Amino acid sequence: MTYLTKLIDEYSQLPLIIQLAWAISALLIVAIIFLIIALQILRKSLRIRHKEKVTYKKRYEGKLINYLYGGGVSSLLTAEQQRCIEEFKNVVHLKHRRKIIVSILFNLMNQITGEMTEAIKTFYFKTGLIDSAIDRLHSKKWHVVAKSISELSRFNVCEAKDEVAKFIHHPRPEVRTETQLYFVTLFKFDGLHFLDEYQEPLSEWVQIQLLEILNQFDDQQICDITPWLQSTNDSVVRFALKLAQIYNQFEVKDTLMELLTHPTKDIRLKSIQVLTSLYGIEAKEVLKANFESLSIEEQISFFKLLEKLVMPDDEPFVEKHLFHKNFEVQLLAVKILKSLNKDKFMGLSTEVYEDSNPKILEFVKSI
Amino acid sequence: MDTSSLNIILKILHYIFFGYAVMAILSYVVLSFISAKETLLYMKKRSFVNYKHILSSTMAPPITIIAPAYNESLNIVENVRSLLSNHYANYTVIIVNDGSSDDSLEKLIAAYDLEKVNFIINEKIKTQPIRAGVFKSKNPAFEKLMVVDKENGGKADALNMGLNISKSKYVACIDVDCLLLQDALQKLIKPFLQNASSKTIAAGGVIRIANSCTIRDGELIDIKLPKSFLVRSQILEYLRAFLLGRMAWSRLNGLLVISGAFGILDKDIAIEVGGYDTNTVGEDMEIIVRMRRHMEEKNEKYRVSYIPDPLCWTEAPDSYKVFISQRNRWTRGTIETLKKHRKIGFNRNYGFFGLLSYPYWLIFERLAPIIETVGIIYFTILVILREVRWEYVLAFITLSYLFSMLFSILAILSEELTFNQYKKKGTGFKLILLSALEPIILHPFVLYAAIKGNYDYYFNKKKKWGTMIRKGLATS
Repeated sequence: MTYLTKLIDEYSQLPLIIQLAWAISALLIVAIIFLIIALQILRKSLRIRHKEKVTYKKRYEGKLINYLYGGGVSSLLTAEQQRCIEEFKNVVHLKHRRKIIVSILFNLMNQITGEMTEAIKTFYFKTGLIDSAIDRLHSKKWHVVAKSISELSRFNVCEAKDEVAKFIHHPRPEVRTETQLYFVTLFKFDGLHFLDEYQEPLSEWVQIQLLEILNQFDDQQICDITPWLQSTNDSVVRFALKLAQIYNQFEVKDTLMELLTHPTKDIRLKSIQVLTSLYGIEAKEVLKANFESLSIEEQISFFKLLEKLVMPDDEPFVEKHLFHKNFEVQLLAVKILKSLNKDKFMGLSTEVYEDSNPKILEFVKSI
Repeated sequence: MDTSSLNIILKILHYIFFGYAVMAILSYVVLSFISAKETLLYMKKRSFVNYKHILSSTMAPPITIIAPAYNESLNIVENVRSLLSNHYANYTVIIVNDGSSDDSLEKLIAAYDLEKVNFIINEKIKTQPIRAGVFKSKNPAFEKLMVVDKENGGKADALNMGLNISKSKYVACIDVDCLLLQDALQKLIKPFLQNASSKTIAAGGVIRIANSCTIRDGELIDIKLPKSFLVRSQILEYLRAFLLGRMAWSRLNGLLVISGAFGILDKDIAIEVGGYDTNTVGEDMEIIVRMRRHMEEKNEKYRVSYIPDPLCWTEAPDSYKVFISQRNRWTRGTIETLKKHRKIGFNRNYGFFGLLSYPYWLIFERLAPIIETVGIIYFTILVILREVRWEYVLAFITLSYLFSMLFSILAILSEELTFNQYKKKGTGFKLILLSALEPIILHPFVLYAAIKGNYDYYFNKKKKWGTMIRKGLATS
């Protein structure tokens, strides 16, 4: 006691700044001890949780496979399947176990087809997993909502359509993304109609995901994309351009021609690329006429279009750009000339031109 | 000088040291708070991201991996195999053999059935010329691979050659001896694709230390904590730097460096700024600063992003000599970059970049070892003059030591809460012990290397890269 009193006395006699330093040090010691304990508890709980996960995964996987193969001839559930559902009903309210069950179900969904998929969906509905997912749609936490939409989408729950539709303009992009993926996964091209009046940016990441989902369907009957090509939202136009290219939308060539004068450069550029893939010969004369006013990227794209759709009457134009200041345009022009008029090309390679790039000529000659 | 003037000078010095220490501590506290918040947000987002679609998509943007190699004969075949085993659908690998004097090229030709091909290079950035040529594989299994053999010009020059050759919109620049995780490209390309409002010009992820880890066929099989104290300490350093530092700077859009071990750049911007600088030893930092400066001067919205996922595993120096040489080079690289771009510092025309990022690097990275050394010298003089007030010394050394330990433990906790890579029993205790010992044992070497870096920069201009003796990850 006297020792402590002496210590306190000495402390109070120290300059204020040292008192402060020691006080902060004491706080830091407490914080360090607390963090060390927290770290040990965390590591231990992570280990336990991992072990639990392995155990339950093994156990539930076995039961779920029995459930799937325990079905009868009719679509009605057998007694064994009913028993399995009842058993799972008692555990789905436990968050950790529910996550394990959902992940097993989802893995199974990826491995099986046909009636068994329906059996999983029935299981998802009857055990109350669907109710839990729909309940979570009302959460105030955006990531809980996003996860829940993702789950509903994975298990093809069309019944939640109206509930999910509310999130299409959610302030969080992640929630909007999951909503969009839900609609396209479940309603294919019809699910894209949210684009009609969509004003939020649609990132490249989302666009790729939507296209990949669409690509998985057998039915590739696409709806009219003209309104999206004419959208005031540039990201929607970019997405529609991708659709036009992938699904060979020859019907929208006129709209694509209009996009050649779009105020956004990368849309003009992409339009040239799409027209190239759609053999949009109409674009050639328009672009030729405006060639000098095009950006360098557009000029390169145009020459790529020309490489594919070149005609003998394009020769004077190509010749005019044989010594273009841009390497890629020059290379493409020389290649095109070779394909159009080999004699002229051979003559070109032997003549000395002030601005010629001998490497390009040599390279094109060798290919 | 009379006693009162001396006293005033001493007082000023005290205030400088004290103010600097307080500012440094406060900045660490603020950065770790921002990092924690950003990491939690990232983990929430990551919990439902589906990378499956980007993997199989032909619409996924093409990426070129550029890996410069110089005398890597020992592991080159295995390292290239690891690069070719990435899960991303749309990528190519360019190995730039930078004038190696060993048999790297012959080994690659034999292992991957390479043949010389006709190839024309658009030399947008000036580089050393091609030596043996450009090679591609006859075997369709290796169609993604291209090997370029050129005259020696250094790492930056080799990367520039890769930039000239690449036809992709994005380039992933990587050290050939790093182990790139199979899902690294799809994770790191995401920041470029998800930002609709601003252009991402560069992105990086966490680099981890692979010494003692088990690697088989280019795949990381088992993660172990190395036995060497030096390597272990670097693990802790990397955790602190990547999980607590860079994450915060990424949130603030103030990152000045993407590790040269692995990072993705927007190729057009990298070429627009003239590619990698061949006259610096810190080319990875320099190009990011130059790209940022370019975007600021163009007045375009941009981001340099960073993700906390461990994407790439590298071999750390396991001898003090090599460690000092590496840190010496890092210091010189920082000095060179900051000096070259000094126009940015405290310049409001560069916004946040000029008013906060640059000054932070200047004050707390560039000047830190100098201020620390001046402090040590000053303290020594006081000891000799018997002017030390030990109650101050004891209080402040304890405080700074405890703070350093706390900061390390926070980094460990952050790692456990997010990626939990060091799962083995007992590792937690070892890491805590490390956080207690590292400031005493490793820090003096770090300081020495930084001071030596300063000395070499000003008085030993001929010094360039220094040697990094590698034992190789593939054989671990």
